[in-house]
Amino acid sequence: MVKHVNTNLNTRLGTAVSKRTTPTADATGGSGAGATFAGEDLVIGYSKDDPVIDGESLVVPPGEVTALVGPNGSGKSTLLKGLADQLALDGGSVVLDGREIHQLGAKELARKLGLLSQENVSPGSISVEELVYHGRYPHRGFFDSVGEEDECAVRDAISLAGVDHLHEREVSSLSGGQKQLVWIAMVLAQDTDVLLLDEPTTFLDMHHQLEVMEIVRTLREDREITVVLVLHDIEQAARYADHVVALKGGEIQARGAPEEVVTEELLAAVFGIDAEVELTDRGPRVTPIRACHHDP
Amino acid sequence: MAGEDRVGRSTRLERFAWLADTRLLTLALASTLIVVVAGLVQVSFGAYSMSLAEAWRAVFDPTVWTNPGVVAELLLGDGLAATLGLSSAGIELSRETLIVWNIRLPRVLVGAFVGMNLAVSGAIFQAVTRNELASPFILGVSSGAGLAILLTLVVFSGLSTLLPVIASVGGALAFLLVYAIAWKGGTSPVRLVLAGVIVGTVCNSLQTGIFFFADDIGVVQNAIAWTTGSLTGTDWRQVRMVLPWTVVAMGLALVSSRQLNVLLLGERTASALGMSVEKVRFALSGVAVLAAAASIAVAGIVGFVGLIVPHVVRNVVGSDYKRLVVGCLFAGPALLVAADVGARLALSPVQLPVGIVTGLVGGPYFLYLMRKTEQLGEI
Repeated sequence: MVKHVNTNLNTRLGTAVSKRTTPTADATGGSGAGATFAGEDLVIGYSKDDPVIDGESLVVPPGEVTALVGPNGSGKSTLLKGLADQLALDGGSVVLDGREIHQLGAKELARKLGLLSQENVSPGSISVEELVYHGRYPHRGFFDSVGEEDECAVRDAISLAGVDHLHEREVSSLSGGQKQLVWIAMVLAQDTDVLLLDEPTTFLDMHHQLEVMEIVRTLREDREITVVLVLHDIEQAARYADHVVALKGGEIQARGAPEEVVTEELLAAVFGIDAEVELTDRGPRVTPIRACHHDP
Repeated sequence: MAGEDRVGRSTRLERFAWLADTRLLTLALASTLIVVVAGLVQVSFGAYSMSLAEAWRAVFDPTVWTNPGVVAELLLGDGLAATLGLSSAGIELSRETLIVWNIRLPRVLVGAFVGMNLAVSGAIFQAVTRNELASPFILGVSSGAGLAILLTLVVFSGLSTLLPVIASVGGALAFLLVYAIAWKGGTSPVRLVLAGVIVGTVCNSLQTGIFFFADDIGVVQNAIAWTTGSLTGTDWRQVRMVLPWTVVAMGLALVSSRQLNVLLLGERTASALGMSVEKVRFALSGVAVLAAAASIAVAGIVGFVGLIVPHVVRNVVGSDYKRLVVGCLFAGPALLVAADVGARLALSPVQLPVGIVTGLVGGPYFLYLMRKTEQLGEI
């Protein structure tokens, strides 16, 4: 097995290079410039003998948007779950603001780091507002009632996600795209420095895909929140992310600014497609031509 | 009205505004009415019959209500009341009042508490297992209690005075066994339910096996009364036994309603929100088992109440557990007290186990709900 794959592509391209820097050194903490967030020598998987991610490191630039891309089964979601402490690490560590995340209490972590899973089910009858209020869970003690801070956070999240007009509706009566915006409002109400989104645009119509990505852009520009998201659409990743990390077979194949990562060679190597990449002022435009049938 | 400006801190002032939900209020009122009417019928009729008005007067007999000694002796028991310096010595009660207060009223009260416990316990288990067919007995409680009952009655008959406690402990032990079987670096709703099936099957087989060793029809009838649930012969001792646990379990259920709501969002979301899912799930199951065990100790294993009441309530007030738990506090007693009227009076002087009636009433009502609604009480 290959242990360290931070080889040629990475170092050559690397803006988000993962050297052996411990993020503690420049931990500024808090919301000022976004939280420092990094995973080192991560071994993550569902069984110890055959980890999906085997010894990868990733430094997420604070206050910016990092997109994880890769074909199905490349380990993007697994990596994200490991970073969010939702899958136990078999090796390595994830450090947030200078502290290892598994040493933080569950609620303490959830006040700093939010995660939106791929598929979400809402109970039968719950209103949009009630669901968004659940985002305040980590901020509330067992007996605490709703405080002013909670109300502000919820109002803010609802307006940022653009679901004001829906706030009294029942979640089950909404369309798939509206539901996704509501779930995003819930994680926004968590009011965290770091936000992880697992395929937030998959299965949405184009309108709602753009809505979601606009929210991500606002988070980056106005809130300086560190966002890591898994995206299926590489063009979307190239357009909205500051950094793109490409995975294949559980290994990071390339990382860096979109125009450096999204190249014809990489699309062939990682996604197995022949494609044309054209640089436009809205980022690289990818025109897929055909699937490569040889094993690269 | 100040509530007009919806902006600002309206929600804070409305901390308990959800209680003012019309559907919840209607449900609570209707349920209370059922309990009162059924209770009045219960205290009026029987071997010594009196009119509803006489029964009403006996319930509100001023001699009882103005003498703290009388109520204290009933609620706390002679011993505790005496230590508090309260006594009913020298107080003469009329015949009607004696019958109502000593014999008939406690049965209504026990029925109400049992209904409350079972309904809330079922509601909690439906959230914990995310399974709308869950009941208080899904995680082995009933089969463990049933086995303990049979063992006590048939094998260790010397211990039969301790039967209520043994039954509850048997149920709780079976629940712990289910959890131990389901545990593999954590649990999941499916694993828990499957482990419940395993323990249930084994316990039920053993229980049925023990029936063959009972040589006395009286023992068998007693065993059936316990395993189908019966309120026959309950008095203030049972009230005193069930009341403290009911208060604790219901209190805990009410304050945990937000945890239940978050758990309903699914394990992954709950965990991402910072909930320690395994701890919370175990604690909530513990509360539900406490409630179920308290009801088993005084009434045996009453089926169906814990399954159907949460469904009925959910159909009326929705799936928010804050409202659901409160609704169950009212609807549970309504079903059980009403069913006990049938159990006690339908075939008088023979008294049926109330569990038989809850099944007979609950089954058709469940059928009606199933036919009427598209998605029956989807969680």
